[in-house]
Amino acid sequence: MTHSFRSSLLWPLGAATLIFGACSKPAGPEVTSAPAATAPAAFPGMEADLQRTLKEQSSFYIFKSASDFEQDTKGLTWEDGANEPEYGDPAAKRGGTLTLATPDFPGTFRWIGPDASDPFREFLLDYVASVFVRPHPNLPGQYTPELAREWAVDLAHKTVYFRLDPDARWSDGVPLTTEDVVFSWYYYRSPLLNEPWYNDFYTKTYSALTVYDDYNFSLTLAELKPDMVDRAGNVNPLPKHFFKEFGPDWVQKYNWRITPTLGAYTIREEDIKRPSSITLSYVKKWWGQDKRFLRYRFNPDRVHLTVIRDPDKTIEAFLRGDIDDLPVISPQAWYEKMSNDHPAVASGFTVKATFYNQIPPPDFGLWINEAQPLLGDRNVRLGIQYASNFKLVCQQYFRGDAAIQKTVSDGYGWDPNPEVKPRPFDPQKAREFFAKAGFTQQGPDGVLTNPQGQRLSFTITTIYRRFQDVLVVLKQEALKAGLEFNLEVLDQTTGSQKMEEKKCEITLAAYNRTVEMYPRYWESYSGVNAYDVPYLADGSPNPNRKVKINTNNLCSIAIPALDELIKQYDKAETMEQTKILAAKIEQMIYDDGCWVNGWKIPHYWAAYRPWIKWPADFNVMQSRDEWEFWLMWIDPDAQKAALEAKAAGRNLPRQSPIYDRFKEP
Amino acid sequence: MELSPQARLQLRRFRSLKRGFGSFLALLFLSLLALLAEVLVSNRALLVRYDGRLYWPSYGAIHPGHDFGLNYPYETDYRALRAQFATAHQGNWVLMPIIPFGPNENCYPGQTFTPRAPDLTLRHYLGTDQINRDILARLLYGFRNSLLFSAGFIVLVYLIGVVVGCAMGYFGGWLDLGMQRIIEIWSLLPFLLVVIIVRSALPTGTSFGLGLLLLVVVLFAWTGMTYYTRSATYREKARDYVAAAQVLGAGPARVLFHHILPNILSILVTFLPFTAAAAIASLTALDYLGFGLPPPMPSWGELLRQGTGNLDAPWIVASAFCALSLVLILITFIGEAIREAFDPKKFMVYR
Repeated sequence: MTHSFRSSLLWPLGAATLIFGACSKPAGPEVTSAPAATAPAAFPGMEADLQRTLKEQSSFYIFKSASDFEQDTKGLTWEDGANEPEYGDPAAKRGGTLTLATPDFPGTFRWIGPDASDPFREFLLDYVASVFVRPHPNLPGQYTPELAREWAVDLAHKTVYFRLDPDARWSDGVPLTTEDVVFSWYYYRSPLLNEPWYNDFYTKTYSALTVYDDYNFSLTLAELKPDMVDRAGNVNPLPKHFFKEFGPDWVQKYNWRITPTLGAYTIREEDIKRPSSITLSYVKKWWGQDKRFLRYRFNPDRVHLTVIRDPDKTIEAFLRGDIDDLPVISPQAWYEKMSNDHPAVASGFTVKATFYNQIPPPDFGLWINEAQPLLGDRNVRLGIQYASNFKLVCQQYFRGDAAIQKTVSDGYGWDPNPEVKPRPFDPQKAREFFAKAGFTQQGPDGVLTNPQGQRLSFTITTIYRRFQDVLVVLKQEALKAGLEFNLEVLDQTTGSQKMEEKKCEITLAAYNRTVEMYPRYWESYSGVNAYDVPYLADGSPNPNRKVKINTNNLCSIAIPALDELIKQYDKAETMEQTKILAAKIEQMIYDDGCWVNGWKIPHYWAAYRPWIKWPADFNVMQSRDEWEFWLMWIDPDAQKAALEAKAAGRNLPRQSPIYDRFKEP
Repeated sequence: MELSPQARLQLRRFRSLKRGFGSFLALLFLSLLALLAEVLVSNRALLVRYDGRLYWPSYGAIHPGHDFGLNYPYETDYRALRAQFATAHQGNWVLMPIIPFGPNENCYPGQTFTPRAPDLTLRHYLGTDQINRDILARLLYGFRNSLLFSAGFIVLVYLIGVVVGCAMGYFGGWLDLGMQRIIEIWSLLPFLLVVIIVRSALPTGTSFGLGLLLLVVVLFAWTGMTYYTRSATYREKARDYVAAAQVLGAGPARVLFHHILPNILSILVTFLPFTAAAAIASLTALDYLGFGLPPPMPSWGELLRQGTGNLDAPWIVASAFCALSLVLILITFIGEAIREAFDPKKFMVYR
């Protein structure tokens, strides 16, 4: 995933993350001191504003000559991913139309800004737009060229140098140059963008952008990090020529304009059929079609996206044959609605594939808000840990397909702390901890009370209606430990607001996590994201502290020692250091008991028609769903044969392949 | 209380209308079943005999497992206890209700969540829903929630409707004009949409349950009743007996509640069943859309939603649909009969 922000908790299988978004809000105004922000009426136009910004921020935007480039990169090793294996299949055939379903018509065609985080974003940005350098999805730590032909890392100067591919062209034919690169950083850092996350990230992460000529540039990072190439190279540039009218009103002005893309698919005006469908078309003479790592991918000529709002109807539509390929999320849909006895499956017209992937899963679990009454007591939190039967949830709701998350940051390819083991469901032990907190009496309804007459009763809030049944299981089981859970299922807007205002007692939630080398702790576990002034000078809790809203620290956890570790962690320059510090952080979070380990699903399911073909491994290790890397192709001969068989009432061989090459032991 | 001769006549006529009266008795019977739900449908035992003592766990405080020699402090699993006593042969026994499942109970812990078809041997007479809960249990307890909701709805709507409507009709003038405009505006709000918006802004935890939902719905549903009471009060106000009462020195409250109200009662009674039907329908609609009762409270709308999402398990949607249709039809029949019984014209000739 690129470094972008997705404001939604609701689509956990989508891309990117909410992670920084909320935290960065307070930093918004101090990002740049452009006067344009305070006097939008006097906005001089994009070009003038850009020039003014370049002049004002001349220590960030640096312009040098081509000869300086030779000088600066002398002695550096250029990389181009030539030794890395490609992941597209040379047997792939180009052409055909793929029909898919999308849950809603997009609210905008912008990549960024209001409504830009709805599920359709995958087809505008996440799955189709190009970046300079992409992490190899099968080989973490390795990179593949995309818009940059070559890159070189200068550790001493925290700088990554790029040589753009001169062939790269926007879908409207304009070549990509460093002008677009400069514009992109201007755009991401502009307060006019109305997106504090981007302002914050693109200001804090980078300390300089140096342009040498039309195709050579370098990015200097603020901190030395183990994944410098990812931080500098995994960025989507934007077309400067398209944003000529960028200004304070750009959100409205650009709402329905199609951004030219460097990726393989674009949307043509005539293919927008509001509100029922949108079709993506392969860019004519796409510059990347013969490039390594881009060829043998993006095979269908057209991708037709039908809007079907109801998930149950989507399944019906798939089984009827209206759509060709469907990622299946609900276990019930997978095992029952498309059971092997269903005519559409039994006849062989549906292939049901299971693919084991390796990505950081959304961190589903119970986030216990320590700022709420009673929950500040560690014994109560540990009691809740032992009283939450997620094992039963995995068994009953997920039919054994899900596993308990081991730590708050599973899925980065290494175990952050082998000592940390999730606490099992044990009502007896839970009662012991509740007793330590003073809850010794059992009331007539089976709920424990303390001598002050307070009941051991907490409300769990969630915005995931589909996980309501999970909560019902937890509620019934918790009563065995004398703990009462009240359930509150809110709609997305109200619910997210309540969570981030820290008004919930316990939250069932998850943040999407970016595929990267190491987890992020600052957002959810540092004290500055819990309270305005968390501690007094001596490190003790500040009695007058106020809860900080709109951050991702849903637990309101604030421990000075943990903050110190996280600070060190964020400055760690090597992976070894990172891992050592991560182990300590994990231990401290575990001991605090603020996050009850929820579930993760180690695979995804795909159901598709037998004429859609895939590489031998099906997909790459770090894919979120079967569409993400566009490795599939349509086999016209198989399609003809299958349709003929269907017309004649003949069955095809039934297929339900399981791809477990990337299954974690 | 002595009934007036007219009321007695109306009652007699109501009883003579077989379909309406029959529906009334049927609904009464169903309501009685719902009120006694704990005795008929519950995972708590009716009667337990253990070591020479008798226990009645249906109502009141829970009996922890320790009470019956089990090694856990939480509520006894009576079905397991029954099986255990049956094999131990120590003179202990457990008497379970006809349907031994609770409305919120996950009947098969550890087993996959999947709707189970009706099965007489397992005593799931209408099957189970998608999270292993007995549908009949949820229907019955859901019915009780609907009844409670509609009872509360009727009381509140009538209270507001009668007070506001009577005041408008009796005092007339600017009060009437002003209130009419307010009511017109208020009643133009799209009911379900506004209720959903208000509902989603309010806390919705289990502890708020029925009461809060009731208030929100009543807030946007009280206007209908005012039209009828207002016009009826207007009509009655012009009659001589009202003038007579006023001449005798009766104040507005006395005139309204002692003289006018008894005379417009027939209108109020006639609307009663339809108001109840409206209450049940709106609760079901809200639940269906997910803005009604908080989970896991049993409700018909929630069952309908589950059912339409699981058409491959037709017993869910069929149960909820049949139950809802049956109750609404019964209420409609009763409503028709009441209207006919209160109609001063005994015979009607259609031309």
